[in-house]
Amino acid sequence: MALPISLRSSVTPPELELIASEQLIEIIPLISMDKTAFISGAYGPLRPPAKCRLPIWMATNLKLKKKCHIVPPEWLNIDFLQDRLTRETSQPEFCAMPFRFAEVAKIILDVASDDVENPDKIRSLLKDLREARQAKSREGITKLDHSELTLPNLCSMEINEIRPFFIRSMGVLTQLVREPSAAGDI
Amino acid sequence: MPCILQRRLVSNTYQNPRPVAGVLTRHRLAYTGGNDTLVRVWKMDKGSDEEPDVAYEAGESITAVATGEDCWLSGSEDSEVRRYGRNSTALEGLVTGGNGAAVRSLAIDPKGKRVAVSSEEPVVKLIDLQDTLKVSLLSGYTKCVRKVTWHPSGSLLTTSGADGKIIVWDVSEDEPKQEKVIEGVIPAVSDSEAPEFVHDCSAVWHTSGQHFYAPTRTHEIAIISRSSWTKTSTLTDDSSLGDVTALALSPNGLYLASASQAGVFIWSTHNRRVLFRYVHPGTPNATITHLAWSPSQNLLAWTDTEGILTRWPQPVPASSPDPVKLSSVAAVTTVPVKRKPELSLFDEDAADDGKTNPEAEPDVDLDNDDWILDDIGIGMDDEPEEQRSKKDGFVKEMVSVTKAQPPFQPGSTPWTNKKRYLDYNMIGVIEVTDQDTHHIVNVEFHDKTTRKAIHFTDHFKYDLASLGERGALFACPPENDHPAHVTYKPYGTWASQGEWTYELPKGVRAVGIAAGGPRATKSQRVMSDGDIQGYGNVVVATNQHEITLLSGTGIERISLGLDGDYVTMVAGTEFAFVVTRDGATTIDGSQNLMGTIWEFDDFSVLQKQKLPIPKGSTLKWVGITEDGAPALYDSNGVLYTMPRFRMPLRASWVRSLDTNTLERREGKDESYWPVGVTADNFMCLILKGRQEYPGFPRPLIQELPIRYPFRRRDPKEGPLEEHFARESMLLNIKRDALGDELTTDEISRRELALDKELIQLIQNACKNDRLPRALELTSMLHHTASFDMATKVAGFYHLVGLQEKMEALKEDRMSDDRLEIAREKRKRWMGDSDPVPPPRLPEERSSTRRHNPFQDFGPPPAISRPGLAPARPGDSHRASTMTSSRHAEDSEMHQDSSPAGKRKRPEDEHDIRQSLSPEVENASKRRFSVEAASKPTAGSNPKASE
Repeated sequence: MALPISLRSSVTPPELELIASEQLIEIIPLISMDKTAFISGAYGPLRPPAKCRLPIWMATNLKLKKKCHIVPPEWLNIDFLQDRLTRETSQPEFCAMPFRFAEVAKIILDVASDDVENPDKIRSLLKDLREARQAKSREGITKLDHSELTLPNLCSMEINEIRPFFIRSMGVLTQLVREPSAAGDI
Repeated sequence: MPCILQRRLVSNTYQNPRPVAGVLTRHRLAYTGGNDTLVRVWKMDKGSDEEPDVAYEAGESITAVATGEDCWLSGSEDSEVRRYGRNSTALEGLVTGGNGAAVRSLAIDPKGKRVAVSSEEPVVKLIDLQDTLKVSLLSGYTKCVRKVTWHPSGSLLTTSGADGKIIVWDVSEDEPKQEKVIEGVIPAVSDSEAPEFVHDCSAVWHTSGQHFYAPTRTHEIAIISRSSWTKTSTLTDDSSLGDVTALALSPNGLYLASASQAGVFIWSTHNRRVLFRYVHPGTPNATITHLAWSPSQNLLAWTDTEGILTRWPQPVPASSPDPVKLSSVAAVTTVPVKRKPELSLFDEDAADDGKTNPEAEPDVDLDNDDWILDDIGIGMDDEPEEQRSKKDGFVKEMVSVTKAQPPFQPGSTPWTNKKRYLDYNMIGVIEVTDQDTHHIVNVEFHDKTTRKAIHFTDHFKYDLASLGERGALFACPPENDHPAHVTYKPYGTWASQGEWTYELPKGVRAVGIAAGGPRATKSQRVMSDGDIQGYGNVVVATNQHEITLLSGTGIERISLGLDGDYVTMVAGTEFAFVVTRDGATTIDGSQNLMGTIWEFDDFSVLQKQKLPIPKGSTLKWVGITEDGAPALYDSNGVLYTMPRFRMPLRASWVRSLDTNTLERREGKDESYWPVGVTADNFMCLILKGRQEYPGFPRPLIQELPIRYPFRRRDPKEGPLEEHFARESMLLNIKRDALGDELTTDEISRRELALDKELIQLIQNACKNDRLPRALELTSMLHHTASFDMATKVAGFYHLVGLQEKMEALKEDRMSDDRLEIAREKRKRWMGDSDPVPPPRLPEERSSTRRHNPFQDFGPPPAISRPGLAPARPGDSHRASTMTSSRHAEDSEMHQDSSPAGKRKRPEDEHDIRQSLSPEVENASKRRFSVEAASKPTAGSNPKASE
């Protein structure tokens, strides 16, 4: 892969999306199908208009063929995101979000924006949320300390973003701190 | 084409050109005034040579007349509004006047308390009739106001100005305020001498209060909705030429009369088409300036600029709904019809007969009686008691009638923004869009694999529809050139030969329709020239107190009489569930509804029961559950189902879900609009706030888990007990459908799952030392193997006595087979009360359903390997081949559940045991069956041999 070395150590966002695609999501099918066995498990039966839980990859596949409506998860609405955004901007710590919210939200907004209420507003809220959290994680990096390592409520995409820098700097910090004792050993 | 009516009219000529007022009251009086400064009071039942009473007081031309509860008012160009006593021409006093500005319009509010007066001044005065010094001023115009009208509630006032603006005022509070300014609708006429100035440009409110009509500058009549204050549609007709010069709404809101140069037109407010037309024979320069409906008679009257008062008796023929009486048919579409009819023209209070002398006018009394009878079937908005008693003094205090709910089609909604749902159920949705001259019908299905969506242009304006398993059914009301008819479009044959139309004779109309049929077993997207399983069944309820059953291809089968008013119905696989009103509503508020289930096969009554709807509530929805049982939902938010409907006359309504106790309802203002019921879920649309019907775009169907409204709040045992009761009921439905067999693999699998829950309950009971309860739960267990589990649980808690009792229960159970008991119970019900089996359908020959290895979750078929079987003394080889042949038979049974596959009971027992624990003790079971086979004498009761 023709990526700079600094990025090779980290997973790419599309890969994270792929991982997130294994999560289950509710759909309203438009076709009927019996329970069907897949490698990851048996899903179905699809009996419209009853809802059904499927992995996201299957939901997007069906959605692209116009064979289902995706029911957005309960956190993907304006009220919830607005509330989180105000908390994010008013409190110093990260607020709790689903671990893979960025990936799931991107997939749903890309594929099924017609099933989401007011997708543009949600997009901008997600962007604001991301920027607020990014600012916090950058600020946190400046206070990096070799002995302390707690990242409550940091989500997968954000972890992934700081991962290359973080690993390197932790390595450097450890070396810097350990040096005197190592020298003492000799 | 509207029929052109040429009738004998009664004309009275009076010598005042440009008459401006014509008002009819319920005592059959008409008030007219004109340039000769006289107000004439005409008696409507006299002929054309009548000499009217005259009021002489006005100094200049009379410009407006209005009648109130106990008085009538006249407005004149001498700027004075005079008040006269009712039924007399004696002046009582002045209401206002003296500022020199000619009065242009008068309107007394529906309660008869205030009068709105517009004059040459740009200010509208609102004067209290009791205390004429109490005046509020409505200012906002720059020119004079030509017309003022009231909303039926009396809280809104609409004023039509000479500058072309309609202003809606909120006058419900002391300080009136502008609600909305609507520009660009009515023409602007500033010159008071212009001929257009006398045209009636008032905003005529519909009796429902949801919209008003106004003549536009483009010679149309606009309908302006109250919710958005925008024009939602227009009334146009090719034959209606020129300016609309007058408008009037019939007292019950069914008809709108309009006048133009081309004559007088009567429109249906329901479908916005011209129904009747009177071609104006008069001179071309005589313009009709005022139209008025009689509040108590089928009579339309108008005045024109030539000074002629013309009466048109019976403008609406007897074959159509009456323009005065509130009929049931009308109420279906014009939603909340107010009891108190609002007369249009000058918008005076028409219901002013409350204080009339009953002896002098007995016909008023009769009118009221009529009204009570006709009342059955109108809109449900009950009028406050005090209002009612105030108005009609002597009749209704004795009889306080409960409003009867009108007939309705489950799953349909009224028009909102020119769109409505005709049906919304578990199969699909029928949406209709109004395009003024025609409708666009859109049929979509939830399951796009089995049925293909369709949309078509509908010139008949279908107003009833039902989406069945095998076809879609539509019905249209009669219109001028075509009678009512019903059309059935079976799926898979859209626009081909399968579609048929069932014409109803003149005067007959469909009030409800339902399409039913067996569940689809194959895709119905493919075109075929006929389906071996038929096209289902069609039921049509008409206004002749009957329902007609037709087959799916249009063969008339039977017409059944109904012993009451039809309310609603739904068709299931093999029956039609019809709700009728048993006689009348009761005085204490019950709707008195009766549900009858008729079978399609032999037209016999399967169930006949009163609906469990409490007093003061109404039926909101009826439907069929996934298992084929009838279900209903009432306005209290309670869902009822009738699980054991197959037992003739034995079934009962089970309260399945009380939506008021739902957790999600906490702190929210929402209601549920039912769509369907599955085994575990109540499928509905969630409506926020005061919303009564779902809107557009189509909301997603939500699932609410069905919970029997049990009251035990124990977090652990409560849900288990509820689930046990619900699941047992479901199993009973399934058993009823099975006939004599009483068990299948699926049933025994579910019984096993239930046993597991019972064991949990037993464990809980043992833990809390409630031994009688544990024992009772044990006796509810289904399978004998489960008894052993229960014993183990008791052993764990060192309850030896309980253990022994459980053992005794187990022995008891084994000695008499529970299926045998159930079967005997059924035999006792034999005769005419045998459970009715579901219909057996011919198998599809070209079945597309084939074995799909990805969808087979059963254990793989056992492979017989006699060489690997453990050595057994005796005829081991023969026994093992028998076992394998049984396995083969089993797998055959899985795929083909045909009725031919009946088997004997002992083998059934094996099946249960096998499916009980397929993974456990497989070898021992095989051995066991080997023993059973090798010892045929013990086969009659194999359990005893264990």
